[in-house]
Amino acid sequence: MRHGRLLILGNGGAALSAARAARASGHLGEIHLASDVEGPAFNPMLAPYFLKGALPWERCFPFGAAFYDAFGITCHLGAEAERLDTRNREVTLASGERISYDRCLVATGAGPIVPPVPGLKASKRAFFLRTAASVRQLEEAIPKARSALVLGASFVGLKVAEILTRRQIRVTLLDCADQVLPGGAHGLLAAAIQALFERHGVEVRLRCAMEGVEGAGNGVVCHFRDGKIEAADLVVVCTGVKPNIGFLDPMQVRTDEAVLVDERLETSVQGLYAAGDACQGINIISGKHEWLATWENACLQGRVAGRNMAGESACYPGSLPQNIGLFFEWTYAHLGDVRGDVKGDVRGDVRTQGHSVLHRFFGSPSEGRFLVLALSGDILVGANLINCAHLAGGLRRAIRERWRWEGPARDGLTLEGIEKALRRGMDDFRSRPGTRAPTDAFTVMTFSGKRSARHGQRDQGQ
Amino acid sequence: MTQYAFAFDVTRCSGCMACVVACQDQNDLDAIDVVAFRHVTTSETGAYPSARIDHFSLACQHCGDAPCVVACPTAAIRRRGQDNVVVVDRDLCVGCHTCQLTCPFGAPTFPEDGRMAKCDLCHTRREHGMKPACVLVCPSGALDVGPIEELSARKAKEASLKILKSIVASSSGDV
Repeated sequence: MRHGRLLILGNGGAALSAARAARASGHLGEIHLASDVEGPAFNPMLAPYFLKGALPWERCFPFGAAFYDAFGITCHLGAEAERLDTRNREVTLASGERISYDRCLVATGAGPIVPPVPGLKASKRAFFLRTAASVRQLEEAIPKARSALVLGASFVGLKVAEILTRRQIRVTLLDCADQVLPGGAHGLLAAAIQALFERHGVEVRLRCAMEGVEGAGNGVVCHFRDGKIEAADLVVVCTGVKPNIGFLDPMQVRTDEAVLVDERLETSVQGLYAAGDACQGINIISGKHEWLATWENACLQGRVAGRNMAGESACYPGSLPQNIGLFFEWTYAHLGDVRGDVKGDVRGDVRTQGHSVLHRFFGSPSEGRFLVLALSGDILVGANLINCAHLAGGLRRAIRERWRWEGPARDGLTLEGIEKALRRGMDDFRSRPGTRAPTDAFTVMTFSGKRSARHGQRDQGQ
Repeated sequence: MTQYAFAFDVTRCSGCMACVVACQDQNDLDAIDVVAFRHVTTSETGAYPSARIDHFSLACQHCGDAPCVVACPTAAIRRRGQDNVVVVDRDLCVGCHTCQLTCPFGAPTFPEDGRMAKCDLCHTRREHGMKPACVLVCPSGALDVGPIEELSARKAKEASLKILKSIVASSSGDV
């Protein structure tokens, strides 16, 4: 397919990585790119760093404006895809323009989830941190604000709470979950992070749901389920994102939470690929299709999809839930499946069947270093780290390659021992033949509260 | 394009840490700081009478398909055109630690200013005809640097000679 027409839907990390990879693989034909996002590709991951003042605005666009010409891309910007007809291989944009293709990539990314709170979406003082325009709007609003509500104690929510606090704004952080970082942190570690934020003056309210938002001059008045009423100058919504795949016909393309793809990132339709936040690839730990939206995944998936669209045969090995960043003076990272959830908190209390997760703790928050390892049998499946980020890369490799952690090493290991083992190539972790566990070993089941409590007793401290 | 890399011979390393000190000196790193671009780790395996100690000197591997280059959200980490060495533009780094999460060798480090710093294969020294500081000081010749094809060819030659010598030695014994 060196001369066919490639159509890329989207204008983010996955989309541009795919275009670059297609050209690098020798694609000589047309590459068209269609997106509602005008201007160069914005990296939403950089929004907190811009708001923090660590990065000038023009550097939030890592591919730059010259990328499109350099790679011979014909752009159709300013109108989102409205319909994709896989039978006729044609995409209709909101502007009415129709673009035919030989191979197409769905890399439309994700948009913010708007909680069903009356008045929230319409409020001019509510900010959804995702697009370049929304980030600029929040930046303009911050200097005039004195108080803010941050909805969602997610990774981004915590970062925003930190930034607003540093910018002298009184912050209340809300989440309906019972801990901060409900998607990826062990309860003990989450409690330590909550305490850190409270020490810095952030009011953290958990198990707290908002019932309504009303405009009040330059601010808003928020109503809560417990009857409380609170005024704030702005509300920042960080309750997660969802894939932008509304234009796809589920009768034509197989979708779940996002577009389902195989290892080549091809969808159920031949010649149609998906990558980045719009696609649902394989989770290395569970062996199942899961939606894992990170910048790195998007770029890597885009690269594989681009090669395959250009006629190569590349495979994506799968993704791992992961995140890393700074919260005040702490560096926090999570890797894999620490809570024993296969799908985070998306489906409630879901655990790996027959593989109860055993937790091992090293250090403590008061020492300034804290590491939680989660083992399913003798396989490391997840890790949470506070101020041990230098171990993160080695642990990620151990999880991805399914290293086994055997008896004496597992029982006697210290934080320093783990560091040594990671550096010297994991003598304490013996590689298991075949890097991926059979999928049936990780069949998902719903756990009852009673069994969940018993599971908790298996935790061992050190 | 030529890919430059380190070569490390584990059978020659005595764990003297001279490479670590030379690296700290070359890069003006504080000797008592935890930040270092090169680490030496000791591995003890087995039990008497077959106990064994190995030392590993490890820095950035300048990977062929470096995960840190792909993952960096600001494109601060890139590959140099001349020698394919992975370098970081510290002015572009926002200190997000994503590179630290992706590197399996623990190469990215974060000094007090919060921006990533790592081994650049002493490209300034090499441009002036000198070896990287760690390679220069290694007293046992465990470390080497050069184009990866040359290093591989040298390794293959050394291994072949070793096998040849052992064959010659065993046949002399037979006589």
